Formats: sequence, structure tokens, C-alpha cells
Amino acid sequence: MFGFGALTFMAPWALAALAVLPLLWLLLRVRPPAPRRIAFPAVRLLFGLGEDEQTPARTPPWLLILRLVLAALVILAAAHPVIDIPAAGRTGGPLVLVIDDGWAAAAGWERRAALGEALLEGAALEGRGARIAGTAPTAVGADGRPRFALGALTPARDALAALRLARPKPWPVDRAGFAEAFRGAAADMEDAEIAWLSDGIADTDPAATARFMAALEAAGPVTAWLDPPEDRALALLPPAADAGGLALRAARAAAGAARTIVVHAAAADGRVLASQPLTFAEGEARAEGLLDVPLDLRNAIARLAIEGEASAAATLFLDERYRRRPAGLISGGGFESSQPLLSDLYYLERALAPFSETRRGNVEELIGGGVSLLVLADVGQLTAGAESALARWIESGGVLVRFAGARVAEGVDGLVPVRLRGGGGRALGGALTWERPRGLGPFPDASPFAGLAIPDDVAVERQVLAEPALDLDAKSWARLDDGTPLVTAERRGAGWLVLFHTTANAEWSSLALSGLFVEMMQRIAGLSEGVAGADAAGVLPPLTSLDGFGRLGDPPSGAAPIAARDFAAARPGPAHPPGEYGDSMQRRALNLGGGELATAALAALPGDAAARGYTAARARDIRPWLLAAALALAVADTLIALRLRGRLRAPFRRRAGALAAPLAAVVPLALAALPGDAAAQALSDAEAAALTQQTRFAWVETGDAEIDRVSAEGLTGLSWVLRARTAVEAGAPVGVDPARDELAFFPLLYWPASAGQAPLAAAAIGRIDDYLRRGGLILFDTRDRSPGADGETPGGARLRALLRGLDIPPLRRVPRDHALTRAFYLLDRFPGRWAGGGIWVESHEGGANDGVSSVVVGSNDYAAAWALDADGFPLYPTIPGTDRQREWAMRFGINLAMYALTGNYKADQVHIPAILRRLGETGAAE
Amino acid sequence: MSAAGAAQEVRRRAERTAAALPALLVAARRVAATVQQGVHGRRRPGPGETFWQFRRYEPGDPASAIDWRQSARTSRLYVREREWEASQTVWIWRDGSASMAFASSGAAETKADRAALIALAVAALLLRGGEQVALFGADRRPARGAAALARLAERLIGGGGGLPADAWAPRHARVVLIGDFLDPIEEIEAAVERLTGQGAMGHLVQVLDPAEETLPFSGRVRFAGLEGEGEPLIGRVEAVRAEYRARLAARRAALAAIARRAGWTSLSHRTDRAPETAVLALYLALAAQLDGAARARPAAAS
Repeated sequence: MFGFGALTFMAPWALAALAVLPLLWLLLRVRPPAPRRIAFPAVRLLFGLGEDEQTPARTPPWLLILRLVLAALVILAAAHPVIDIPAAGRTGGPLVLVIDDGWAAAAGWERRAALGEALLEGAALEGRGARIAGTAPTAVGADGRPRFALGALTPARDALAALRLARPKPWPVDRAGFAEAFRGAAADMEDAEIAWLSDGIADTDPAATARFMAALEAAGPVTAWLDPPEDRALALLPPAADAGGLALRAARAAAGAARTIVVHAAAADGRVLASQPLTFAEGEARAEGLLDVPLDLRNAIARLAIEGEASAAATLFLDERYRRRPAGLISGGGFESSQPLLSDLYYLERALAPFSETRRGNVEELIGGGVSLLVLADVGQLTAGAESALARWIESGGVLVRFAGARVAEGVDGLVPVRLRGGGGRALGGALTWERPRGLGPFPDASPFAGLAIPDDVAVERQVLAEPALDLDAKSWARLDDGTPLVTAERRGAGWLVLFHTTANAEWSSLALSGLFVEMMQRIAGLSEGVAGADAAGVLPPLTSLDGFGRLGDPPSGAAPIAARDFAAARPGPAHPPGEYGDSMQRRALNLGGGELATAALAALPGDAAARGYTAARARDIRPWLLAAALALAVADTLIALRLRGRLRAPFRRRAGALAAPLAAVVPLALAALPGDAAAQALSDAEAAALTQQTRFAWVETGDAEIDRVSAEGLTGLSWVLRARTAVEAGAPVGVDPARDELAFFPLLYWPASAGQAPLAAAAIGRIDDYLRRGGLILFDTRDRSPGADGETPGGARLRALLRGLDIPPLRRVPRDHALTRAFYLLDRFPGRWAGGGIWVESHEGGANDGVSSVVVGSNDYAAAWALDADGFPLYPTIPGTDRQREWAMRFGINLAMYALTGNYKADQVHIPAILRRLGETGAAE
Repeated sequence: MSAAGAAQEVRRRAERTAAALPALLVAARRVAATVQQGVHGRRRPGPGETFWQFRRYEPGDPASAIDWRQSARTSRLYVREREWEASQTVWIWRDGSASMAFASSGAAETKADRAALIALAVAALLLRGGEQVALFGADRRPARGAAALARLAERLIGGGGGLPADAWAPRHARVVLIGDFLDPIEEIEAAVERLTGQGAMGHLVQVLDPAEETLPFSGRVRFAGLEGEGEPLIGRVEAVRAEYRARLAARRAALAAIARRAGWTSLSHRTDRAPETAVLALYLALAAQLDGAARARPAAAS
């Protein structure tokens, strides 16, 4: 290998042939031009004439130069020049791609994959071997140690296929573990070159990075690729439940310029309930913001996600821990307003506020208001009516927490978990006693408080005592360090009855002043939500999981259930992908952002590895271009030689004309293929009039020739099917550019979303708004449904970015009784090339346009399913691919066209009997 | 165009070419007033088919000339005399070799086409005058009349060969040879001598392409003969042009010498000239020769 800067010659020895060029020059000069051959009848008269005289060999100098250039091109092509081989060390040995394929890699995965492909293509050109290794663990071995995908040494061409299959994992990388595994695997590789496609996120432990780099460098020279800090991954951290709402927190890799992101809060069915911008201030790596939503909505939030950030850490599940349940507070005392610090409820209110809404009132009011947790602070005697109401409420799942106090010590009603001894309870410490106030003993394992840290400074001076009983021990959730029960509880029906044997204020103990009090109240509030410590023996199977791009899907095969008791300590990994665990009764969220997620930027690389940015430098093989140029020159040379010999005299003009015709056809084509708006020309009146002669559908030109071609084929196929099956005489479809063309002629616009589309210009937005407002219908197709996955796709985010500024009404999944499901055929699914995934329509029908949705959004690549060739055979396979799916896709297209043309006609009640009869028939038939 | 179509085309052109000639014919008649063409009786006894008169036998008449039937009616001997019929047969040969199928960029048509045109035009004139026309090689029997022209045209369009080495021609025939006469000069001389030996009188019409006359090429050229003569390579054509022209002039002079020795005439024609010039010249030559023959023949006969 031999190169000048970006240019590399794969076979540099061929360049030696350039030395032959001067010789060629001489040869070409000396050799006379080939004689013209002329048929001549009087040839007999010419015999023996002019044998001593020759035309001097005068090859024209420009022809000489042309031929030398031709020879030089061939020689250069033989040397196989390649531009921009993005290899790093150029050792000549195998190329090892070490890819950080953890969650943080998802953000710029396309960039990473492109770079990896470029590296492998370069290696393939050089005929090197390659292997691909990922630093995120793929599984956990039986010994508890992570396993890694270390790849096998294959030709670079094959590794390319493996790279295209690689996907980021929804858990963090483990570089320390990888280093260990890599050391063993890389021992047999000679002369290797390491390319580390880093995600740019530092390890929690700096030593891990150092070990990792050492392991890589032991195998060969390392080149690392890093994103600029502002492009690295964002993570959504668990929100703090705040009294005012959810305090959202996000982290970025490096403190840089100010940046604003938007966090969407979505319900379980995918509806976006609220959005909140978060701003990273300049120089800050954290952003916080309060998501203030009404309580009902807040409890419906199932996920938080950063808009436009497709990674597992940008999605956060909220489980019951974040739901706020109203808690009712009732006090027996009367200090509430005048002396708040002495009030029974002052501390309770603050302890409950982060995770519950507190209400006050009497028993009947609070129970009727739907509280799930009721706290009675120092209420001695309940009225009989209240007592029976509370008992019923507990049976049906309520949690009643009572605190002792002077009134309880005087005598209590029957609604306590244990019988209390009379006599005012027990006082510890004080002026007249030797005893000292008692601290807390360890929590029993069966207690919901198990695992909470016990502060030293909590002292209990007074408490009420329980009568000894056989089950007292089992009922005790907390004890003093001398074993006296402090908190007792009893399960009654579906609910709990809990008694704190001390006060809710600081009168009898300092418990209410400690942080432990808050945690205990939280645990108890947790009971009211069905997340019971008593169920800690259960096992939570994975319910839904995120993939590396933050897409919701079924759990992968490697996902294992988590024991409920270990759930708090569980960390996302190969065995436990982030997502929801549990069953329909209880769901727990395992979030990547929970726990200690490393989000800091990898600052400097240890060792002497060189770091580069991800640039899409792709090895470009220029040999074909050289050969093409040489071929063109050779053709030109042949023509010139023919011309010089006179073979091309008169016919030349004719032949040139014959050549010019195809050229004239090709050149405008080539020009049309060039990017740019050379063809930007609005419709003339005549063209517009022609468009209105027939019903035509239109697609939006994305600028990507491949997508536009599929769109055209799809709409042509759909028009054909419509003509064949329905009364719609659809004409040939038309491609439009909203920024340029009038849209009013088309009842239906098909809009495929592609990655390369620029945001809409203001003129286009105005035109589309106008089109939608006046009854147009646009089918947006993100075309990227992956089979089996549900929920939003990356294309959805892209579409949202594309259409920002457009007045699109809120959307919902198409309901079962929507006019789209029966505009022509009765449909209950809407597949395109992909199956699965629903379609979305305007949620507020009945508004403008007589209730016809102006927007239909889907992701199944409909045009590819509709595309038919000239003989009516489908052009692209459906996936999973049955004729039935194709038929459904066609029917959806027909329904959509009918919906666009007839509006809500079929939604009219008049048709209900007929539709019901049909439904009955199909039901009977099936 | 089919062969029949081509024949018709050539005939049409030939008739058009010949159509300009009646005036010339008159002039020619004036030039040779005594020349009477065609099969019309000369109102005097002579060789012929038609009975003319019986006359008394005179000593010196061959016995075979006595008409015995007529003599038997009377006591005298009578000799049957026929009316002298002056119809002449002209045998035409047109060169059909490969070298004739050549037309340079300056010429309107190939030499073969031009030769056929001249031959047909002359034939048209002769037929109109009542003479008989035949093609060498193709017919044994001369034809006459308007219908003969169509048949001639068809035969002239077709192929043909080189010089008629063993072509049969009746004694004392009139012969017109049209070709480029680029064959070896000895072959031409032999053919002419053979025809002369049979008592034929004739005309050589050399049809050449302008390129053959001027050699307008330059540079390094490999010339390829059309009849496989060889492919001489000329390094600089412009240098040999003068010498080539000298050779061509020598060839022409040799041709003229052959004709003169045989008592024939020769003329040269270029395909870029109007065909009428050649037809006129040939006609004049033919007229003069026929006239000469007509005068010589009765003298020989009487």
C-alpha cells in the first residue's frame, strides 16, 4: 500500500508502467498512420509508382497526447487508486471493529454504522480480514460474568453483513468486562488494527476505561472515533415526585452550549398527555423542569420520552411509585391553624406530599372522595358509623394509618391491629426516671420497612403498649431496640390497618422529624397502591421491553424475570432489558436512567490512541471511473482514427446525428437526476386544467429517487385496482412538491417520510394547511414499521420534526367504528408492506370538514404494497408476506381512496343496518 | 428497385437522351446524304430478300442465279434479281466486369450504368432508324423494332462479363465496344484483332470515372483493385499524380492506335460529362462508317 494523503494505491507496483509512457510517445511518433484504403479500378496503372516516397508520419500532437492520457489512465487504473480509505494504523493485519453498542450508541447509530461500513469496505478493498466486537454484554453466563460478542475473523466483505445486522443494546456497555474477554480472544491475532467506535460516554469507574484501552492497545494500534460532546447521548433520569408535579431531570454528556429538549409524557396507549421543554443551561450537564399536569393525567402517564432521541435511556417508564394517590388526614387535636409546629398533621403532610395529594376532612367526606390512604392522628374514639364505614373501606383495599397520642392513650375504639394496654402508655426517660429514650431496633424481614436505614438520632420517649398476644410478633413492623413494638399492622381484607404507637408530631418521639419517617410513609403509601412488601416473594416476569432505539416491543428471548425482592437492586442488562416487569396486577418499571447510569462524556483517551470524529468518509474506489474515462478516450480515439483514414468521411455527420439523438435524450435525464430545483416550475393553466380532467392521486416528492419511484408505482397500482374494482376512474398519479405545486387538484396525497427530507418551507406549510383545511386528505407513511414491534417508530419522530409548524390536529388510533374501516370494504386491520401497527387519524371528528379526518398516519410502507407492474403483478414482497396481507393492503388503499372521495358517507347511521347484516354474515362465514 | 424496374429506368433515360437526337440525325443525313438506313428497298437490284425483277441472262452471271421456273415459261434464260436491302446489324458490347461498378464522389453514377445508358441510347437510335441491334454474348439473332429496345434494356442491366474473347459475330458486322478498357492492353488488342479478322468494323468507347482521370487523392493510400489485381501502397499519392496521368494518356493513345490499325474509331467519355456527348460522337462515327459500308458494298457487289 502506498498513498498520497487521501489517495491510496492498492497496487502501486503498476505505477512503474508509467515509465513506459515516453517510449510510447516515441513509438507513436515514429509509426506512420495507417494508410487509407481506397477501392480504385485503375489500379493497374498504379503498380510500381511512388515506391520510394512516403507521407511523413505526422500523428497530430493532440492525438498523441490523447493516446498518452489514455495509456496513463489505464496504468493508473491498474494501480487501483482508492480515495479516503478510513483505516487508522494501516498495519495490513486484520481490522478489529470494537463497537460501543450500548444504549448511548443509539443516538448516532446511523453515523456509526456508516463509519463501520466505510472501514470494512476499505478493509475489503485491501483484502484484509475483519472481526466485529461489541462492548455491551450480550448475555450473562452461568458464573454471573457477562458474555460479549467478540465476532470471528472473517473476510471484511462478510463482516460487512454482520455489521449491518448489529443493533445497539438497551443497556450500558461494560468496558472492564469486555477488556477481560477481549484479552483472551485477541491473543491469536497478529498485526491487528483496532478501530474503536466509541459512544463517547465515560465509564463510571475511570480505571475501567484505562483497562479497556490497555487491552485494545495490547492487540494493535487503536484509533478511536468520538462524537463531538454535543452530539452524544442524552439520558432521562428518574423524575422526583414533587408536590407540584413531576420534576423531570435529564442529563447530557458534557456541559456545553445551552440546549433545549422536549420531553413528552405518554399514556400507556401512546397518547401524548403533556410535553415539557427542558433547557440545559450553558455550562450545565443537567436539566430540570417541572411537569405540571392535573393529577388524573399525571397518574395516567406511563412513559416519558425525549423527543427525537431514539435510545433506551431517553425513555423512562413510570410505575406506581410515581402515581400520586390522594391521602386523607384527620387529626384529633386542635392546633392546626394556631400552632402549626405542634399540629399532628404538619409532619404528616410534608412526609406524604412528594407522592400523594393530601386532603383533609371528616371520615365520610374523605372515603367518599376516593382516598386510598387515610391517616388518623391521635383520634381516640371514632363514632360507630365512622368506624363501620372505615372497616368496610379497609376491607375493600384502603390503608388506615393511626398514630397514638394522648387521646389514644386514654382509650381507643376497636379499629386497631393489636389490643392496647390502658394506663397512658409507657414513658421512657424524663426527669424522674433512670431510663433513657429508646432508639429503633432493626426492622423485621417481613416488614415493609425492611431495608430502610435507621438513623441513630431517632429517640422515642413515649409510646402506647400493646397487650401481649401470640401474633404480636408477626404483626410488628417496627420495634424499639428493646423489642417493644412501635408499629403494628394487620391485614384486613384487601387493605391494611397500621398503628404507630407514638405520635405523628414531635411530642412523643423525634421519629416524625427524621428522614426515615418520610420513607416509612412512602412505603405505607406504596401499600395503598398494591405494591406490597408482603408480595416480595413473588417473581416479576418481563412484560414489555425497550430495544436499543427506545422502541417498545415484546421482551427478547434472553429476558429473565426478576424476583420482586431484588427488584430495587436490579440493573438493566442482558438478562433484564429495561422495560416493564410484572403482570396486569402490578407493574414495575426497570429504567436505564435509574440507578447509577454513567452519562458523563469520555474526556480524554488514555494511552496513545488517536481520536477522530465520526465523519462519513467512505472509501471511494476510483478505478471504475478511470477505466470508464479510458474507455471513452479509446472510443474517441477509434473514431478519430477512422476519421483520419477517411472511413468516417461522409457518414460521420450522419453517425454523429445518430449519436446525438440518444445523447439528447440522456443529457436532460442526467440533468433531471441532478439535485437542485432546475425543474422547479409551477403548473401552467393548461396543465392544471389537464389535471382536473380526471380524479388523480398525488404523492409528495421526497427528493429520494428510490422512494419517489415506489410512491409512483404504488399509486399507479392503487389507481389500477380502483379502476378494476370500483367506480372510481382514477387517472395516472402525479408527483408534487408542496413548496411548488398547487395541491387542490388531488383528493388524496401520499406522503412517505424519508430521512433526507428537509423541514418544510413556510410556503409549503401554508399550502398544506390550506389543503387540509379545505378537505384534502394526506396519508403520511413513515415506512419503517419493524415486524412485530408496536408503538412509535423512529420515523414517527422524524415525521414530527418534518411537520413541525404544520397545523395538525391531535391524533388517535383509528377506532373500530371509524368510517375508514367500512368506506368500501369492512376492515379491521391496515397492513401495507409490513403488517402490524395501527393507523392514526384525527381524534376530534365532527369538527372541520364534516368530521372527515384530514390526516391519516401509518408506518407500513403502503405504496410498496400497492405497487404493481404492467401485468398487474406485485413488485415488492409483503412482510411477513401472504397474499392475504396484500389483499388487505389493497383494500385499505381502496377504503382510503373512498374515504378521501366520499368522506363520512359510510359513517352515516342510514347504513348501519346493512353493515350490521354484513358483519353478521362474515361472522357466520368465518 | 427490381431488375425490371431498373431496366425500365435505364430505357427511359436512354430514350430521353436519344430524344435530343433526331435533329442530329437530320444533320447526319445531310452530312451523308446517300446513307439510307433501314430496310427499305434501294429501288435497284442488289443483295436482299425481296424480289425485284427478272432480267435476261447475260454472260458472266453465275448459273446459280438463273431462275429456272421463269426460264422454263419462255425460251430465254432469266435471272432473278432481288431488291437491295441495306439493313445493317450493329453488335453492341458493354463491359460488365467488376471494375465498371465504380463511382467516385464526383461522379453521378457508376461507369457500368453510364455504359449501359450509352449503349441503350445508341441502340434506340439505331432501332428507330430501322437497323438491327444485337448484344454480344447475349443473342445470336439481331432484333429490330421498338420491342427490341425493351429486351435490350433488360439485358443491359444485368451482369455481363469482360471482353468477348470468343464472341461470335457475323462477318462484316458493325461492332460497338463500350467499357473502361483498363484491362491489359494486349487483351484489348487481341480482341479487336480477332473481330477485325472476322471483317467487323467497330468503335471503342472508353468510359472512365473522373477520379480515374484526375487521381484526386493525397497522402498514404492503399489502392485496392476491384477485380483482385492487387493492392499497391502509394506513400504519397500527390507525388505520383503526374506520372499516373501520363500513363493514362499513354493507355488512351494505345487504345486509339489499336482502333486506327483496325480501321476502327475510338472515343473517350467521362461519367461526369453529359451522356449526350458520347452518344452524339458515337452516332456520328457509326453514321460515317455505315455510310462508308453502304458505298463500299454495292461497289463490291456490282
